[in-house]
Amino acid sequence: MVTLTIDGVKVTVKKGSSILEAAQQAGVRIPTLCHDKRLIPFGACRLCIVEVTARGRTRTMPACFNPARDGMEVATNTPKLRDSRRLQLMLLLRSHPLLCPSCDAGGDCQLQNLVFEYEVPELSFGRQSRYFHVDNDSNFIRFNMNLCIRCGMCVRVCEEVQGQSELSFVNRGIESEVSTDFDRALDCEFCGQCASICPVGAISSKWLVGTGRRFELQDTSTVCAFCSLGCSLTLGEKDGKTVYVTSSEDSVNEGNLCVKGRYGWPFAYSDSRLTKPLIRKDGLLVEASWDEAIQTVAEKFGAIKKSSGPDSLAALGSQRLTNEEAFVFNRLVRTVFGTNNLDHAGGYAYRSLTDGLAPMLGYAASTNQIREIRGAKAVLLLGADLTETHPIAKNEINLASVRKKAKVIVVDSIRTKLSYRDGFFLDVPPGYEDLVVNSMLKFIIDEGLLDRASVDLRVEGFEELAESLKDYTPEAIAAALGLDADLIKAAATAYAKAETGVIILSEGLNRYRDSSPLSKAAVNLALVTGHIGKESCGVYVFGEKANAQGALDMGLTPDLLPGYHLVRDEAARSKFEDLWKGQIPASPGMNARDILKGAENGSVKGLYVVGENPLDTYPNRQRVQNGLSKLEFLVVQDMFLSSTANIAHVVLPVAAPYEKAGTFTSSERRIQKLNPSSKQIQGKPDLEIFMSLAAKMGKPELSYAGYSEVMSEIAGAAPMYSGVSYERIGDKGLVWPCLDDEDSGTSTLYEGGFPIGKARLAPAKLLGMVSRSSGSLKLIPCVLKFHSGSFSEWSPSLMEVCPPGFAEMSRVDMTNLGLNDGDAIKIVGNNGQAINLKAKESRRALRGTVLVPYHFSKNKLNSFTDWGSTEIMIQVEKA
Amino acid sequence: MQERDALLKKKVEDSAEIIPPEKLALLDPVIEKYQGSSSYLIPALKEAQEMFGYLPMEVQRKLAWGLNIPAPQIYGVVTFYSFFTITPRGRHTIRLCLGTACYVKGAKNMLEIITREVGINVGETSKDDRFTLEAVRCLGACGLAPVMMIGEDTHGNIMPSATLGILEGYQ
Ligand code: SF4
Ligand code: SF4
Ligand code: SF4
Ligand code: FES
Ligand code: FES
Repeated sequence: MVTLTIDGVKVTVKKGSSILEAAQQAGVRIPTLCHDKRLIPFGACRLCIVEVTARGRTRTMPACFNPARDGMEVATNTPKLRDSRRLQLMLLLRSHPLLCPSCDAGGDCQLQNLVFEYEVPELSFGRQSRYFHVDNDSNFIRFNMNLCIRCGMCVRVCEEVQGQSELSFVNRGIESEVSTDFDRALDCEFCGQCASICPVGAISSKWLVGTGRRFELQDTSTVCAFCSLGCSLTLGEKDGKTVYVTSSEDSVNEGNLCVKGRYGWPFAYSDSRLTKPLIRKDGLLVEASWDEAIQTVAEKFGAIKKSSGPDSLAALGSQRLTNEEAFVFNRLVRTVFGTNNLDHAGGYAYRSLTDGLAPMLGYAASTNQIREIRGAKAVLLLGADLTETHPIAKNEINLASVRKKAKVIVVDSIRTKLSYRDGFFLDVPPGYEDLVVNSMLKFIIDEGLLDRASVDLRVEGFEELAESLKDYTPEAIAAALGLDADLIKAAATAYAKAETGVIILSEGLNRYRDSSPLSKAAVNLALVTGHIGKESCGVYVFGEKANAQGALDMGLTPDLLPGYHLVRDEAARSKFEDLWKGQIPASPGMNARDILKGAENGSVKGLYVVGENPLDTYPNRQRVQNGLSKLEFLVVQDMFLSSTANIAHVVLPVAAPYEKAGTFTSSERRIQKLNPSSKQIQGKPDLEIFMSLAAKMGKPELSYAGYSEVMSEIAGAAPMYSGVSYERIGDKGLVWPCLDDEDSGTSTLYEGGFPIGKARLAPAKLLGMVSRSSGSLKLIPCVLKFHSGSFSEWSPSLMEVCPPGFAEMSRVDMTNLGLNDGDAIKIVGNNGQAINLKAKESRRALRGTVLVPYHFSKNKLNSFTDWGSTEIMIQVEKA
Repeated sequence: MQERDALLKKKVEDSAEIIPPEKLALLDPVIEKYQGSSSYLIPALKEAQEMFGYLPMEVQRKLAWGLNIPAPQIYGVVTFYSFFTITPRGRHTIRLCLGTACYVKGAKNMLEIITREVGINVGETSKDDRFTLEAVRCLGACGLAPVMMIGEDTHGNIMPSATLGILEGYQ
């Protein structure tokens, strides 16, 4: 720690902090034009200069990159400094077009603000005009380099944070400007970080051009509804309509957003939004009133329940429901429908990952905070293509890689972008990541690279684990998977020896079989090496959709009640029966797979689907379709006429995430509030629908005055939410476990120990046969950063940057098949199903694999998949 | 002076030439040699330029893919160092100073002579690939005005009538 004085204010800061950071802590503002806390200091603008007196000498220096030292006396605002800043500003103005009256950035321009603040007079020297490139052709973003002040923040954020390096300073001297190569239009992540960081109007959002200026917009902050990282969004509205989305630099995500968060929202204004309920009459879906629709649903479900019993009803929820909605939906299904046949897609994907965690550690969730990843010295990614699935978490790995020199170990069947970072890439067939992890652990134990203290004091079951690993030698696994044993050993050594190490798993739809062996292997590895219960360590599981964690916390499963209480547990059940004023069946219900099977064989007759599109997302499309079309009564609650909604009997339109309240729990256990932006709601919030349906089904007591009332009920029912209340959830949310009113949440789990006493290592499963089919091609369903599944397809903006219809293949395979980039191909599965796509040469596809994005309804990729299988063998022909 | 300002803005024109794939394959050994270490970008670019004479878009893109360096960064480097060029050039680049001192002391006449006798204007390359002509703003040697650089050689105090004689030395 060092102590210094800034404008008379004494302040103590961490060693290594800059003078600027110290000033911020002291509450003294120093003007900057090229500094951002996310970036490495650059020192281009010289606006931050201060006078520093140390050891009797006074010097001026930039505050942004000079470290604060003990005993320094810093003056930030002397007349001399003001003069010098004024001169810098005049030099910038010299060649800056003074078109402020028509500039989009007017009122939101830091140059303008400083020129005003420093009362810069008429320039005392001639203006200089230079001409630079203007780009209006890129998606979303507009460049006008004539306005650029060369602060370099766009180039740096793109490289340092995004890891994309789409922008560069080109040309030299006074001709230098920011551009892509050969001034081409952008072909990048389209995260818009460059536009949001630009202090002037040189890079800006196209959608604001001619629409409005920042200060005219009315801001609402809410949570992103795409992936599960819980980035906070600021929606800027004009005339009751969102026109701009950004994120505050004070948010947990530090103002960073990915393309979906920043530019994906127009789905909310899609013409395809459903506005009125639909009822199937004479084979056609026709518009109806809410009353009629709810009445029909209540009657039909009631009649089925009466004639065939409550277990002929079933319900599928979604990771998109807020906690409150999921909780009330749970109550509705169990106490009003009277069945435990309740599940959601995360029930087989996300859950099989978190299920591994709970019995071993205590909680079924990520152990640490996302922003801690940047501090790790080793990062192990297990089938986690974060660049595409969770872009903002990928940024953390870039930071760790560059600033902490972290080794990035990628175990994947895709050559992911992060695999090019310094570290190791171990390519495995889909679904075999756990074998690599086990062999790493075997090597670590054999070589004595383990953390003895941690093994002795914090865990149990070590002997059994070591015994169960006996067949997992790096040599055996390397031979089975076609890898190099030395690579496994080197990766194992890097992870074990690193001071801090994180392991990351992500839910992806290529996980059709039970993934719990993988998460167990990951936890074993973290425990044995002592990489848990500390900052920048731990095991992360990233769910697919916004409320992946919350959906499980709220018990959208056949066997768990909210708070992970077991349905089977008599005491828990009766507690919920009292709370919910209704009976809950004593035995667990059917999971999604059985529900869909039940639909096929007639045991399930009525199905209520909320926020999911089973026809496109569940494996084995033909059987799903067959089952759904046999149902006596299918109700779909959605924003759009999805392919499942299209075959439903009743469709109930719901509000978009930007139009409703409630909370989401992110993958770092952070409970954050949504705030509705606009009064214009199309459809109804799910919560309202559940309540009216319950009332019509004779249970008017299922009623809540609002989201906050539901949250207080959740707090009473789910132990890790017990200290949570609507009022307590601030701008940065609350991280569970939050046990009482005093508890400000828990960022790092297991710091002081495990709630279950000692952590329990899980023996590895018996090493089975590895099927390594050679010769034919494997299809790998993949994710692309522009999409997320259900609603990105309704966003014209996202469809424009990333339209469907292509399959990525390696250069070798394409040459072997005589294919050129862009050729039409036909992919035929072993089950005879076929789809037509275009071939795209890609580095991501390893030899022998074909990557096809699964999130396009049109691709019908689940025609090829099946429960429990990970390998999809296909033929590719020229079409 | 307006005429001069216009000349100073003229850049060597982009080539419309498309490099055929078999010729691009010449880069494979360069890529092989420098793969895996982005700090060797400059030597790789140097070799590529020796091979093609210049670094057009296809060459840069191929190097970007092969060396796994973002194309904008390669372009940034290429446009930063005057040694690299993205347009085809003659064997010798003439940089004629059109700064004020040189201009009034005869650079204007020199330009006329070059245009007439070599047959190229600013931004052009002679048909025999011998010379490329560029106009530059003050080379910082006003004391020697008029000044012209050919390749790395600086010539000063030139009598306009001696221009062709100097060029003779560069074949
Ligand atoms: S949008 Fe993102 S990836 Fe693209 S240039 Fe800007 S910062 Fe880089
Ligand atoms: S475009 Fe904007 S962010 Fe980039 S260097 Fe110029 S002023 Fe800075
Ligand atoms: S990373 Fe996830 S939560 Fe963040 S903006 Fe992107 S989609 Fe939204
Ligand atoms: S902010 Fe310090 S030099 Fe620009
Ligand atoms: S004007 Fe030609 S060298 Fe200065």
